[in-house]
Amino acid sequence: MKLFRTLFPFIRRFRPHLHRMFLGTLSGAIALAAAVGLLSLSGWFLSAAAFAGLTSATAQTFNFFYPSVGVRLFAFTRIISRYGERIITHDTTFHILKTLRVWFYESIEPLAPACLSRYRSGEILNRLVSDIDALDNLYIRILSPAVSAFLIVIFLGVFLSMFDAVLSAAACGILIIAIVVVPWAASVSSMDIGQNLAKISGILRTHIIEGIQGLTDLIVFGAMEKHQERLSSYHRQMISLQQQMSHIRGLSNASISLLSGSAVWIVLFIGVYLVDSGELPGVFLACLALAVWAAFEAAVPLAHAFQHLGRTREAAQRIHEITSIPPAVLFTEKSKGDPETYDIDFENIRFHYHPEDPPVFDGFNFKISHGRRTALVGETGCGKSTLVHLLTRTWDPTRGRICIGDLDLKDLTQDELRKTITVISQQAHIFNGTLADNLQIARPDAGESDMLHALETVRLADFVYSLPQGLNTWVGESGHCLSGGQARRLALARAVLHDAPVWVLDEPTEGLDKITEMEVIQSLMECAKNRTVLIITHRLLDFQKIDQVALMDKGRIIASGSHHDLIQTNHRYRKIVSKMV
Amino acid sequence: MLSPLILTKPENLFEKIINMNSPSSTDTRPSVRWLISQARSVRLWIFLSIGIAFLGGLLIVFQARLIADIIHGAFMDHLSREELLPMFTLLAIVVAIRAFFQWAREVSGFQAGARIREKLRLSILKHLAESGPIGIGGKPAGALASVAIEQVEAVHGFFADFLPQLVIAFLVPITLVAFVFPISWAAGGLLLATAPMVPLFMVLIGMGAESISQRNFQALSRMSAHFLDTLQGLGTLKLFGRSRDETGSIEKVSEQYRLQTMRVLKVAFLSAAVLEFFSSFAIAMTAIYLGMSFLGYINFGTYGTPLTFGDGLFILILAPDFYLPLRDLGSHFHVRAEAVGAAGEIQKIFALPVKKQEGVIPTWQKGHPLNIRFENVHYAFDGGRNAVLCGVDLEIQSVKRLAIVGSSGAGKTTIGRLLLTFGQPSDGRILINGVDLSTLDPESWQKHVSWIGQHPVLFHGTIRENIRIGNPDASPEEVEAAATAASVNVFTDRLPLGLDTSIGEHGSGLSRGQAQQVALARAFLKNASLILLDEPTAGLDSETETKIMDAIFRFCEGRTLIFMTHRLGHIHEVDQIVVLAEGKVAEQGTFEELIHLRGLLSQFLTSLNEGVLFSEGT
Repeated sequence: MKLFRTLFPFIRRFRPHLHRMFLGTLSGAIALAAAVGLLSLSGWFLSAAAFAGLTSATAQTFNFFYPSVGVRLFAFTRIISRYGERIITHDTTFHILKTLRVWFYESIEPLAPACLSRYRSGEILNRLVSDIDALDNLYIRILSPAVSAFLIVIFLGVFLSMFDAVLSAAACGILIIAIVVVPWAASVSSMDIGQNLAKISGILRTHIIEGIQGLTDLIVFGAMEKHQERLSSYHRQMISLQQQMSHIRGLSNASISLLSGSAVWIVLFIGVYLVDSGELPGVFLACLALAVWAAFEAAVPLAHAFQHLGRTREAAQRIHEITSIPPAVLFTEKSKGDPETYDIDFENIRFHYHPEDPPVFDGFNFKISHGRRTALVGETGCGKSTLVHLLTRTWDPTRGRICIGDLDLKDLTQDELRKTITVISQQAHIFNGTLADNLQIARPDAGESDMLHALETVRLADFVYSLPQGLNTWVGESGHCLSGGQARRLALARAVLHDAPVWVLDEPTEGLDKITEMEVIQSLMECAKNRTVLIITHRLLDFQKIDQVALMDKGRIIASGSHHDLIQTNHRYRKIVSKMV
Repeated sequence: MLSPLILTKPENLFEKIINMNSPSSTDTRPSVRWLISQARSVRLWIFLSIGIAFLGGLLIVFQARLIADIIHGAFMDHLSREELLPMFTLLAIVVAIRAFFQWAREVSGFQAGARIREKLRLSILKHLAESGPIGIGGKPAGALASVAIEQVEAVHGFFADFLPQLVIAFLVPITLVAFVFPISWAAGGLLLATAPMVPLFMVLIGMGAESISQRNFQALSRMSAHFLDTLQGLGTLKLFGRSRDETGSIEKVSEQYRLQTMRVLKVAFLSAAVLEFFSSFAIAMTAIYLGMSFLGYINFGTYGTPLTFGDGLFILILAPDFYLPLRDLGSHFHVRAEAVGAAGEIQKIFALPVKKQEGVIPTWQKGHPLNIRFENVHYAFDGGRNAVLCGVDLEIQSVKRLAIVGSSGAGKTTIGRLLLTFGQPSDGRILINGVDLSTLDPESWQKHVSWIGQHPVLFHGTIRENIRIGNPDASPEEVEAAATAASVNVFTDRLPLGLDTSIGEHGSGLSRGQAQQVALARAFLKNASLILLDEPTAGLDSETETKIMDAIFRFCEGRTLIFMTHRLGHIHEVDQIVVLAEGKVAEQGTFEELIHLRGLLSQFLTSLNEGVLFSEGT
């Protein structure tokens, strides 16, 4: 079954929690069995008492102690086991959630950031996270109630067949229809509707967003009415799909109700005959009917849960799609020691993101000398960012090689590479945590003085001193409590802390004002003495501090030299610098 | 004890009960009142839903009676199956009708919810359109869309399930007891003794269910936020070689949340256990009471005549159904919490201001030449707190090209929006050929204005369809001409389908510059006498910027062009420049005049030289 194949890889991850799952399900089954026991014993007790009460002699000798204790015991068991089931299944779900998250993280960690670049947007990541949340329903809503229901079928079957095989088969047959066929039918018939529903609500959302973003256009061009009509037509399509879902829900409710009524009816119909023919003592008739009736409690949650199985399946498919992507780059495990120098040499690089795309680089050569500070300038799309991706081995070049000193970049283990090159990318993330948390990402053992020194270098220390909680100040979601410039400098402080021989800074001063920019660049460059530094920028920085400026265009270095020389000798560079003057 | 509640007006009754369960009832009350006021339009469906459930309750009684009588007949009276056949037939019919009612209940509830959602969603969308860009302000489109979609969906359950169930949870148990009482006042009393606990149950269930769902949700969303944060920062972690250490942190955070949440849940589930306690023990006690009275140990509770077996069984079968509606209500309580939250969000949208015009509105008559005059125009956002324009005086008379420059936030966009009649000056007026713009029918004026904004907005469909929006009546030749004027043909000629190429959402498949060119062609096709441009080249590289500006200047020969910008690249090509600062016109004149003045414009130009070397996407 396709459904099973999609879900199995996830169910397999549940294994460490098998004992908990089992316990939770068992409690659920016991709660169901206790309900069956409570009603059927009450039925028998009433019948027996009524029969005994017919004559005063039998009434005197009737032992009501055990039945009344039994009834109370079942009631008690029912309460305890139901409570236990809720606690255990929820606890198990949290355990499963933990396992799934860790597993998911471990499977996508090697993919970052290359293969995840298209998932970078918050919305898609958000969906992934909620997809994982959807998977934990698998146990608590699907697996556990289904297994409990089957246990109850067996329990009921054994109990009823002690009285009559035909009666038992008829009642269990109907119960199986209620717990297998009805949920299955609900799941199958809502699969397509559910998918279309997700699609149409996505379309509706896109159009609403488009309409809001393009409100001015719609009004100015008189297209509002048409747009509104289109929206309401999508809305109606959505409602009509939901109505179909509601019909399925209504039908499955009706089916369960019909089946439970029929089961009681058939038990009575057979039972009355058996009593009439003397094969069944009449005192058990109420007991059997009520047992069957109570057992149908197991069927109620299943149909509803299975109706939404399609959603769980889609969530599983989306997650599977991502976790099965092969990593773009594999790292060596064997260390060859440190390179002698930290020159960086791009040798005859060819690279494209997709084989069908035109190459970003074709025969790209570029050398950055050890201990020099190089600035790389160029227009959007000239390949600056790709260069960083290659240097961090987010991707590998399709041809040519990048050397660091005497070593090929590929000869470095992942840890060595990260220790050698510090990259402050444009998307440097500010984590939801304290300032110290965010700094210690660069060096976990950094003490307060280290961190303050790093902040000093990026001219952020005064700001931190002014905060009542200093380094322990919480910076909110994606650094919301920091201005763009402060967030940028916090990211730069990580580079200072990380203390690597090579620095790659991608637009290091984006969002900083002119004066801070100058100060930050100056003190960073002092801190960067004896390091190899590559600054990628489209801003006119204080190029006096830069040893070498390289002008890049269409995947090539078209000029390089000191700012001074380039201004003197390179017409294009001069033109770009003076364009706005 | 129920009577004082019932005597109050039904809506107040609802409010009382609904609010009873929310610990922070003070802030949710307006939302609840609003939700209930919405229910009026679908009350028929809600009443139908309640009616069906009530009839279903009667059928439960009937069904219990039949089952009890069949068993009594076979066991006590030794009747054969044939003799019981009429009762079997009746039972089959009752079972079938009950099943039908189950379906009808779901469907009628759905109708109630769906109709309300239809009304809400369409009026939200209409309201957003009427508020216009000024009313919406800077609210992100995604957030507004999620109100129109998710939050509207979230109120469904309130009308489909919760409101009907609230009545049913009273009605059905009382109906059942009404049938038990004539048989045995003791058994009826046993059930009814728990009836005063019904509101208590509700409070328990409500608090329990709410805190379960809320705390559970909070914990989950916090855990998800941490997970999301880690995923988003994965690239950064990796660059510092720290990504693999995060596994432990994810495990730790998940484990913490598990422990926290379970502590809450252990208490919260107790309320459900209390209900379970009552229903299970009521069944057990009923059974024991009935058994004892059959045996003659108990001689009270009936009206003289002893209980028959059938009567006893009937009461026993009814007992679980007495509590079922309450349990169902408990499971609908989280729906209420969601709906109340959503109602707050929805009301926020309806609170967005809408401009209204009353009386006979004169329509705008085209006349040459166009003369636009701003007389002491003031404008402020947020009910007057954020002043944007503070007395703008400006005359645009037979000017071909006017540039309005100023730093971001100086009020350039507001001037454009006022000219498009999306808002009205809080003081002063705008005259078009001597007529106050606020007295004109906006549509008739907008017909003569074309607009191009910062972000080209393209719609699902082909490039040709997107251009045609400018003028649906345009001939194919005119569309081609507009496409050529905006140089759209330069890139569409290379596409196999040309102008009929489909573009995806937000113009995907086209570059930013290409999308702006399509928007340009659309504006050209409209053939308006006034063209408003709001930073049409923001975020484009200088080459594309030049291409687009050239096309605009070419097209605008003989029309009035107002061009708002904070980039000064093409500023020397306009006939007149207005510099906005602090909500006022600071300088006005030709490029040469203003340069000569050595005022703000010269300052802008100098600061620009130190800023950006390459224009890069924003």
